[in-house]
Amino acid sequence: MKSNKPIIYIIQQLFIVSVFTFFLGSCSKAPIRETPVDPPPDTTVTPVTYKNGIFIINEGNFNWGNASVSFIDNSTNTVIQDIFLKANQRGLGDVAQAMTIYKDYGLIVVNNSNRIEVVTLKDFKSYTSISGFYSPRYLELIDSTKAYVTSLKENIAVIDLSTFTITKEIPTPTWTEVLALFDHQMFVTSVGDFTLSNEKRKAQLYIIDTQNDVTVDSIMTGKEPMGIVIDKKQKLWVLCTGGYDFYEAPSMLRIDPVLRVVEKVFTFPNDGNLPKKLCINSTRDTIYFIKDGVYQMPVTANEIPSAPVIKSNGRVFYGLSIHPSNGSIFVSDVLDYVQDGKIYQYNSSSGTLLNTYKAGRIPAAFCFTN
Amino acid sequence: MIKSTKYLGYFLSVSFFFNFNWNSVAQSGKDTLHLPEFEVKSNYIFDNLGFKRVKLDSITLIPHINADLSTILTEYSTIFIKSYGNGTLSTPSFRGTTAQHTQVEWNGINLNSPMLGQIDLSLVPVSQFDGIEILYGAAGISRTSGAFGGVINLVTNPDWNNIAHLLVAQTIGSFDNYTTDVNAALGNRFFQSHTKFNFSSGLNDFPYYNDYLGKYVNQQNASFKIYGISQEFFWKLKDKHLFNAKVWYSQADRDLPPTTSNADSAYTEKLSDKSLRAVIEYKYVEPGLNLLAHSAISDQAMKYRSLLISSNHQPNTWINRIRFTYNRIRKLSLKPGIDFNYDWVYSDNYEGMKTRSTLSLFAEINYEFNKKIKSSLVVRDDIIDGKFMPVIPAIGLEYKPFNKINLQVTANAARNYRFPTLNELYWEISGNPDLKPETNYITELGLIYNLTSGNKILFLEFTLSGYYSWIYDMIVWTPVEGNSSLWRPENVRQVNARGFEIGTNIDWQILGFYLGLKANYTFCRSTNEKSIVPDDNIVGKQLIYVPVDNLNSTISLQRWKFYFKYNFLFVGKRFTSTDNSYYMPAYSLSNIILGKNFALNNFILSLQVQINNLFNIDYQSVASRPMAGINYSFTLKFSFIKSVD
Repeated sequence: MKSNKPIIYIIQQLFIVSVFTFFLGSCSKAPIRETPVDPPPDTTVTPVTYKNGIFIINEGNFNWGNASVSFIDNSTNTVIQDIFLKANQRGLGDVAQAMTIYKDYGLIVVNNSNRIEVVTLKDFKSYTSISGFYSPRYLELIDSTKAYVTSLKENIAVIDLSTFTITKEIPTPTWTEVLALFDHQMFVTSVGDFTLSNEKRKAQLYIIDTQNDVTVDSIMTGKEPMGIVIDKKQKLWVLCTGGYDFYEAPSMLRIDPVLRVVEKVFTFPNDGNLPKKLCINSTRDTIYFIKDGVYQMPVTANEIPSAPVIKSNGRVFYGLSIHPSNGSIFVSDVLDYVQDGKIYQYNSSSGTLLNTYKAGRIPAAFCFTN
Repeated sequence: MIKSTKYLGYFLSVSFFFNFNWNSVAQSGKDTLHLPEFEVKSNYIFDNLGFKRVKLDSITLIPHINADLSTILTEYSTIFIKSYGNGTLSTPSFRGTTAQHTQVEWNGINLNSPMLGQIDLSLVPVSQFDGIEILYGAAGISRTSGAFGGVINLVTNPDWNNIAHLLVAQTIGSFDNYTTDVNAALGNRFFQSHTKFNFSSGLNDFPYYNDYLGKYVNQQNASFKIYGISQEFFWKLKDKHLFNAKVWYSQADRDLPPTTSNADSAYTEKLSDKSLRAVIEYKYVEPGLNLLAHSAISDQAMKYRSLLISSNHQPNTWINRIRFTYNRIRKLSLKPGIDFNYDWVYSDNYEGMKTRSTLSLFAEINYEFNKKIKSSLVVRDDIIDGKFMPVIPAIGLEYKPFNKINLQVTANAARNYRFPTLNELYWEISGNPDLKPETNYITELGLIYNLTSGNKILFLEFTLSGYYSWIYDMIVWTPVEGNSSLWRPENVRQVNARGFEIGTNIDWQILGFYLGLKANYTFCRSTNEKSIVPDDNIVGKQLIYVPVDNLNSTISLQRWKFYFKYNFLFVGKRFTSTDNSYYMPAYSLSNIILGKNFALNNFILSLQVQINNLFNIDYQSVASRPMAGINYSFTLKFSFIKSVD
C-alpha cells in the first residue's frame, strides 16, 4: 500500500481539479453566439444619424445568418459596421440582397430569411418586416403606393407601401431577377426554372403593366439576364452572363422599350469571366459592369471596351455602384468570402483610387442617401 | 470484481493477432449485456507498433445505448465533433483536419460515402456496435489512405460463452424523443447469432432564444425517425476457423431544421438516407500465422427535397480485404495484404454513372530489435482506375525503457495521400477532373504510462502525444476566378496542423466504491499557410470551426448497484472567419447519468435518468444553429443473461 500513496495523492488532485473545472464551467451564462474579436466602438453614446452617406449591404454567408449593413458617413469619412445590429440588438438575417430608400424608410431584401426588413432611415431601427416571400431577390419602387419584388421561386410580389404588406402576386412561371421601370411598364428579367439546366431554361424579359399588374409581353434574352438599366436615351440595357456554367458567350442587349425589340446585341468573348453588376451613372450616359475588372462604357459606344477602367489584379470584385452625385466608382472586394470584405472608391474618369473602406462579410450592394 | 488484468501483459507482448476483433475474442467478449462492472484495462491497443490506437469498450458505452456516435465521440474522445444540432448533421474534425480526413468503419467496412468522402455521425446508433477503436493519424494507414486525422472503427464481437442474452431498452426524452433498442444474442461455444434493432424518433421541438426574432421560440421542422436492424452470425470451427456474416440495414428520415435567421419560414427541407451493409468474413488462426478475408457491399440511397430542389444519390461500394500475418521468423512479423474496392454511383448531379476502382497493396513489417525497442514499417500503394499512385510509407518506433514499469515511448512518421471524392471529380459543371491528391506529412511522438497497484484496486493510465503535420494541395471548393456563381474544388489550401493530446484514465476501488475518471485534453493549432487571394490575411490563422482547446472528462461512481456519471465538456473558441476576426465563444457543458440495476437470477432491470446540458447553457456549436437547453431522458432497460460459466 505504501507504494500507492503518491498515486492516491495524484488522483485526489485530479478529482479536485476536475470538480473545480466543473464549477468554473457552470459559471458562464452568456449566450454563445458569433462575436467579433475587435468589437466596433459603441455608437449608442453619441448617436449617429444615417442622413448623409453610403449604406453597404453585406450579403453574409449562405445559412450563417451574418448579413449586415455598414455605413460610410460622408461627414467624417468613416465606416460604422453592423448598424442594423446596433440599432436593433439583433442580426439582419441571412443573405441581404439589396436596399432601397423609400421616403424615410430603408427597405432591405433579406433573401434567405425570406423577408424585407423595413427600417427608419434616421436611426436604422426596425419599423416592420414584410414576410411571405420565397427567396426574394430585388425590389423596385413604382410610385408612392407600391413596389414589385422578384423571387427565386415564382410570382412577383406587389407591396403596398403604406402598409408594408404583400397585397397581390403577379404569376410568373419561374425565377425573376432584376427590374426596371419605364413608362408604367416594369421590365423584369427571368432566368428560367431554377431546377433546370441552362440548356432547358428559358431566359426572358417580362413586361408588366404596373397599373393593372399583369404581364403584357415578353422578350427572349441571353442566358441568365442578371442586370438591367435604362439610359438617357430611354434605351434598356440587359446584361446576360451566358450561364454560370459558361453555356454560351455572355451578352448585353440594347432594347427599345417602346417598340419592345432588341436593337443591338453586344457579345463578350466566352473567356471564363462572366460580366455582372450592370449599373449606370446618374446622368445615365455611361454604363458600368464587372468582368473581373470594372468596365466603363458610354451608352453611345458601338462595342464593348477592350480593357477595364479598373483592373482587378487578382482581387475578387463583387458589388458595384456609381455615386449619384460625384460619379465615383464604388466596388467591393469579397476576398475569400469567409472574412470581412473591402470597398474601393475610384475616380471614374482617371481610375485612381480615392479611398478604401472596410465592410462586412461579402459586401454585395450599395445604397446612397439622397 | 476485478477481472482481465492478465491481458494487460497479453496486450503488451507482441500481439499474434493483428486485428482488434481478435483480441476481443479472447477477452471478456460481448459485454454490452453485462452489468457495468469494475474492470481494469488499458485504453490502448499495443499493436501497430509506434502508432496510437485507442479503444472505447462496451462498458463505457452501456449507459449510452440510446445515443449516437457523435455523442460518444464528443464525450469520450479527442475528436472534435461539429454539430448542427441534435439529430442533425454531425461531422468530425480530427487533429485539425476536415471530416473527409476521418474514415469511419464498421468492422473494417468503410462507412464514408464515396461521393462526399465523409459520414454524418448522428446516423450511427451506439446500440449497433460493441466497441470503438480509434486509430490516430498515421495509424490509419494500416486501414486506408487519406485518413489524415485517423480512422474510427466500430466493432461487433461474439461472446463464445453466451447462451442467451436478451435486451429491451426504452428511452423517453424531452421534446418527444423516443428510442427503442432490442438486442438478442443466442448461441453456444461454436455458433452465435446477434440480432439488433434500434428505432428512434423525435419531434425535437426544443425551446431556444432566437436572436433574430428577439424571443423564445420552439425549434421548427427538426423531427427525425431513424431505425436500423442488423443480423450477425459467428461460427467457429476447431478454434482455427472463424466465419462471420453480417447484414445491417438502416434508414433515417429527417426534416432539416432552418437556421435561426430563417426560423419563421414556412418552407421545409427533408433528407432521407437509406443504407445496406453486408459482409462475409473468414479468419484462420494458428500460432504465428493467420489470415483474414472479407467481402462486403455497402449500398446507400440519399434523397433531398426542398421547394426548389429535389435530388437523389445512390452510391454503392464493393469492399474486399485480404490480410495475412506471419510471425514464425524470430523477431520479425510480416503482414502483407491486399484491398480491392469498387465504387459505382448514380446521382442526379452526375452525368451518368461514375465508377472508381481502388486496388491497394499493403504490407506491414514489425521488427523487434530487443525487448525494449521495436519497430514497424507500413507501406501502402493505391492503384486507382489502373493508375499507380505515389507510395504511402509509415514508420513507427516503440521504446520501453524499463522492465518493471509500463512506460512506453512511441514515435512515427508518414507520408499520406487523399484522393479526391467522386463529388469533387464529377459533380455536374463544378466537378474538377484535374484535381491532384492531397499530400500529408505527419510525425508524432507519444508517451504511455500505466500502472496497476499490487493489490489491484487501482489502475491508472496517462498518455501524452504530440503531432506535427502539413497538408499540401488541400482541396477546397472555391469560386471560379471571374465567375462568382460557380464554385469548384481546387487544390488551393496548405495547412499546418500541430498539437498535443493528454489522456488520463483511472479506475479505483475504494471502500466498496468504484471510481472512474476518464479525461482528454487536446490542443490543436491548425493553420492556413498559403494565401489564396490578394490581401486575404489568412496565413498563420486557425482554420474555421477547429477549436484550439478541447476538453472532456467523465467521472463515474458505482456502489450498491447504483451508477453515476458526470460528463463535462469544454469546447474552446472556434473562429468563424478565415482571418480570425470573428469567433464562436468557448462553452462548457455538463451531462449526468444516474441509474440503478436490480438483479434477480438471470434477470436485470435497469432504471436510468439522464440530464443533458445540466446548467442550461444557451449555446450554438455552429453559428445560427440552435442547440437544446437542459433536457432529460428516462430509460428502462430489461435484460436476461445466461452464459456457459
